[in-house]
Amino acid sequence: MTAGGITAEPPVAAAPPPAAGPGRLGKYGTGAIFLGPALFLLGVWMVYPAVYTIVRSFFGEHGFIGTWVGIDNYKTLFTTSTLLTAIKNNAIWVAVVPALVTAIGLIFAVLTERVRWAVAFKTVVFLPMAISAFATGVTWRIMYQQDPGLGAVNALGKTISGVFSPAGVLSQASPSTPGLQTTSSGALVLKTATHPGGIVLLGLTGIAPDQVPKSAVQAVTPPPKPGDVVGTVWRDFKPGGGKVGVVEKQELGLPGVTVELRDAAGKTVQSTTSKPDGSFDFSKVSQGTYHAAIGAQTFAKPFGGYAWLGPNLIVPSLLIAYIWIWAGFAMVVIGAGLAAMPRDVLEAARTDGATEWQTFRRVTIPLLMPVLSVVFVTMIINVLKVFDIVYALAPQSEYAKANVIALAMYFTAFQGGGNFGVGSAIAVFLFILVVPVLALNIRRFRRDM
Amino acid sequence: MNRTRIAVVGIAAAFALLAAGLAGATTSSHAKGSHVSALKGTITFDGIWTSTSGQKQFQDVINLFNKTYPNVQVKYKPVGDNLPTVLATAIAGGKPPDMADIAQPGTVAQFAKQGKLKSIAYARSTIAANFAPAWLSLGTYSGKLYALPFKAANKSIVWYNVPAFKNAGVQAPKTFAQLLADAKTIKSSGTPAYSIGGADGWTLTDMFENIYLRTFGAAKYNLLGAHKIKWTDPSVKTALTTMGKILGDTSNIAGGTSGALQYGFNDSVTNAFASPAKAAMVFEADFVGGVITSSTKAKANTGFNTFTWPSITPGPDAGAVEIAGDLFVAFNDTPAIEAFVKFLATAPAAEAWAKQGGFGTGNKNVPASIYPDAITRTNEAPISTAKSVVFDMSDQQPPSFGATASQGEWGLFQDFLKTPSDVAGIQKKLEAAAAAAYKKGK
Amino acid sequence: MAAAAPAVEIPDPQDRVAAKVLRFAARAPIHLMLIVLGGLWLVPTIGLFLTSILPASNLASKGWWQIFTKPSVATWSNYDALFHNHGLITALKTTAYIAVGNTLLVVIVGAMAGYAFAWLDFPGRDWVFIGVIGLLVVPLQMALIPMFRLYDTFGLFDTWYGIALFHAAFGLPFAIFLLRNFFVGLPKDILESARIDGAGEIKIFVRLILPLGLPAIASLAIFQFLWTWNDLLVALTFGQNTTPITVWIAGQLREFGTSIDIIAPASFISLVIPLCVFFAFQRYFVQGLLAGSVK
Repeated sequence: MTAGGITAEPPVAAAPPPAAGPGRLGKYGTGAIFLGPALFLLGVWMVYPAVYTIVRSFFGEHGFIGTWVGIDNYKTLFTTSTLLTAIKNNAIWVAVVPALVTAIGLIFAVLTERVRWAVAFKTVVFLPMAISAFATGVTWRIMYQQDPGLGAVNALGKTISGVFSPAGVLSQASPSTPGLQTTSSGALVLKTATHPGGIVLLGLTGIAPDQVPKSAVQAVTPPPKPGDVVGTVWRDFKPGGGKVGVVEKQELGLPGVTVELRDAAGKTVQSTTSKPDGSFDFSKVSQGTYHAAIGAQTFAKPFGGYAWLGPNLIVPSLLIAYIWIWAGFAMVVIGAGLAAMPRDVLEAARTDGATEWQTFRRVTIPLLMPVLSVVFVTMIINVLKVFDIVYALAPQSEYAKANVIALAMYFTAFQGGGNFGVGSAIAVFLFILVVPVLALNIRRFRRDM
Repeated sequence: MNRTRIAVVGIAAAFALLAAGLAGATTSSHAKGSHVSALKGTITFDGIWTSTSGQKQFQDVINLFNKTYPNVQVKYKPVGDNLPTVLATAIAGGKPPDMADIAQPGTVAQFAKQGKLKSIAYARSTIAANFAPAWLSLGTYSGKLYALPFKAANKSIVWYNVPAFKNAGVQAPKTFAQLLADAKTIKSSGTPAYSIGGADGWTLTDMFENIYLRTFGAAKYNLLGAHKIKWTDPSVKTALTTMGKILGDTSNIAGGTSGALQYGFNDSVTNAFASPAKAAMVFEADFVGGVITSSTKAKANTGFNTFTWPSITPGPDAGAVEIAGDLFVAFNDTPAIEAFVKFLATAPAAEAWAKQGGFGTGNKNVPASIYPDAITRTNEAPISTAKSVVFDMSDQQPPSFGATASQGEWGLFQDFLKTPSDVAGIQKKLEAAAAAAYKKGK
Repeated sequence: MAAAAPAVEIPDPQDRVAAKVLRFAARAPIHLMLIVLGGLWLVPTIGLFLTSILPASNLASKGWWQIFTKPSVATWSNYDALFHNHGLITALKTTAYIAVGNTLLVVIVGAMAGYAFAWLDFPGRDWVFIGVIGLLVVPLQMALIPMFRLYDTFGLFDTWYGIALFHAAFGLPFAIFLLRNFFVGLPKDILESARIDGAGEIKIFVRLILPLGLPAIASLAIFQFLWTWNDLLVALTFGQNTTPITVWIAGQLREFGTSIDIIAPASFISLVIPLCVFFAFQRYFVQGLLAGSVK
């Protein structure tokens, strides 16, 4: 350990000091005992399958080995568009997730050191790791559903948007007759002009019975009044359809609708609200030609929800869910690293007058480097292999857009006919992708030595 | 000396037992009817049905089998959705289960071509005595019989929300033109008419297949299914255009097009039958009933009911039935397996499950009265009695074309849902995908 | 130095309170941030829990937040149904065997290998280590087929130890990576003095490295336990009658229709034991483990 200076060196994988002989077993004997079991398990369960996969990738579709096809499988690999999307997506995953997860884990690990109720917070963040991947997919499906009635995030959005832009009395309605037309602003205007003393009929359909305001009663056509423009806005539907444009029995009026009287130029002269039987009355209308209209605010749609699982947002949505799961992993492992940090170096730094931030940056982080690199490298490799969350969370219609290499491998090898040859080629491709990651780390290890 | 004697006696006893066992096995294979057999054996069976979707009922079938063959142990393993992976691994790894239940004839054809399946020709006479010839040919590949269609689902059914229909004042339509008119009225009444689970591509292929079947009849349907007619054929264009009349009516679909693409099959059912209902009809098979009863509060007749897929072209095939089936295959051949397969082809095996509901069969010796309620009877009886029966076309295709998520038919029909106006484009892509799949022989 | 200074300073009571308040005020933003973050983090999990206490038919049209407007709809019937289903307890026991068995194996074997890579010297050490990390990338699915054949040959099929060995092997690359990097950070002089004292490597390993490495070993144990507890594919492929909890749950799901009334409560039942493991190992994350252990 350095004395004095507040910068700590990253720990070094030292060659063991030339001590009193390597012991009875000898250098190789000790190594064999310590490494033997691991090398055996790894050799049989991981190296053998890895070699099998590499060999298998040069053979055909079916069977334990199949027929030799040379590099055909690799050719297929690079010409299938879905696979190219998968590679692009994995690149996004690698760029975003490991850095974010490590950073969040570090921040959480450091912050919870200083808080008494750290265990509670750690449990909350750790919990997602303990839920199976399938259940996590289900959990986030519920969060992400587009329908604000079913999806939590959109439900919140609907509540918020309801405060700022409340929905109209009728969110979905269509005119029942062609005479009633939709304008660009969303209002419905009756094409036929009307004059004082006239009756205006504004029939609407596409309204579910339970959407009709509770105060509604049987629609009524009011008698004409000289000097006034009267009319009804009502739900122009009865079981079977009924006659369109005519107020019939069983058809309810629509109260609370904003009806406007517009002059020939289209400006709103008067506006009123319909009564429980749907009738309305524009009083004291001066001579002229007018058009009746239903204001756009009547049809203000409630918040429809964002399509988190739609083609545009599916990849970010998956990233968020994945980070939610794995931050706990980073936090726990880094927390372990923090717990084992030698306190005296930190104390020395503090007594030397370093601030919290300086201590953190110059002492803690370097000492934590080995653990941080474990988390970071593991996350890179995990993210290259990511499968469960995409399979469980993305709807089937978005598999192509959200495709990742492991998903493509699964579908190629096990579903839809089972092409183990190409599946193995994809796996080999995954092996190759890791090589740069390892190369970077070799350099870091070299520096340590 | 003592030890050697014991050993000799022991070996002799073992041989005696073995001989007796073999004798018993050979004699009992001729035993029929209620005669209890001494046949011994174990059968491992990998299946889709889990404890909430048929495992108990299938166990009842097995128990009935054990009445005649009490010494044959059938070990059923519920694998659910993971069946393709587990089965593929086991087959490639060299140790497949004795029997498995596979839902796609296309997959069965593949295994047959790879030589992994054992022929079940020993059951041919039993099957012929219980099923119409079309069912025998469903299980036959390159002239050999490999599969027994044990469980069948009727896919030419439409489930509708009774209160929604009442509110709209419409009756169950009999023709497609009536369906479209009714859909318009339902929309005016304030509820979208169609609930589509587009996230599961197979719901879209089912709709296409019913339309094609009812427009052009069973013979042409089978030609398209065997890829003897290309997907660029004008008949496909007609069928797709008809389908576009439903898919293109976006304001009449629950959630619109984007919603339909995100809703899976399960969502499409709950959308139509939860309250408040988001749609009035679901075009799907008899297994919708199970989803309704497990996920919603709707009750039979008052909440939900069914009608047959509306006819399009009048004629003998106007009421044709499209079937999907669970095919039983055998990877090994032992006397125990042969006895079990033969048993499964008989009416009592089917009845053991049918009387509990949620089961349909092509076994013509199963009376319609066995089904527990009226709606089930209306849905299941036509499977064995309909004059014209065809099988789910996408299931019969090579799996890479007909049964893979976001690829082939499933993916392309999802694209069609996105743009129902692009009929010609979809036709070209479908034909390209089909040609590629058929060329590779997979 | 001559004057008798009081040995202990009695702090001014006022200072103590003021100091405490100041420290709290300095900490308050951290507390606040943690509470907010924790709350956000918890929302999906709480959502799943609330989903598990609502009947499935209620969830068809409304989300789990309906419980806030109508709490009376909540019910334990989903959990009841699961517990009445025989096989749950057996499944939990089987899972425990597999998880505990393979975690122990991974910890021991991984620690030994990690120590070897960190503090023993032999030719090619670092290249082999890189190779081990590289094995992290082997995807589970590709190992299924070759191992299936191997298991069949050696009769490991459908045994809990067969499944446990599979998991142990797959957990080793991460275990070795983590423990080696951790051990490398241990103070060199402790090891040096131990070696000078003539202690054999095995003794150093057991008496020094393991206790010092407890935080890392604890976190490794937590995750290895967790990953095997939640695995489905391996158990499904290599088991017939051996059913851990994930396979048991998979065997309950409906073929069609949402099985949310099974998945949600089953997830929470399945959560309990890994959570207990997490709590049990928490005490190894205490600071200052190193101080005072240099003996």
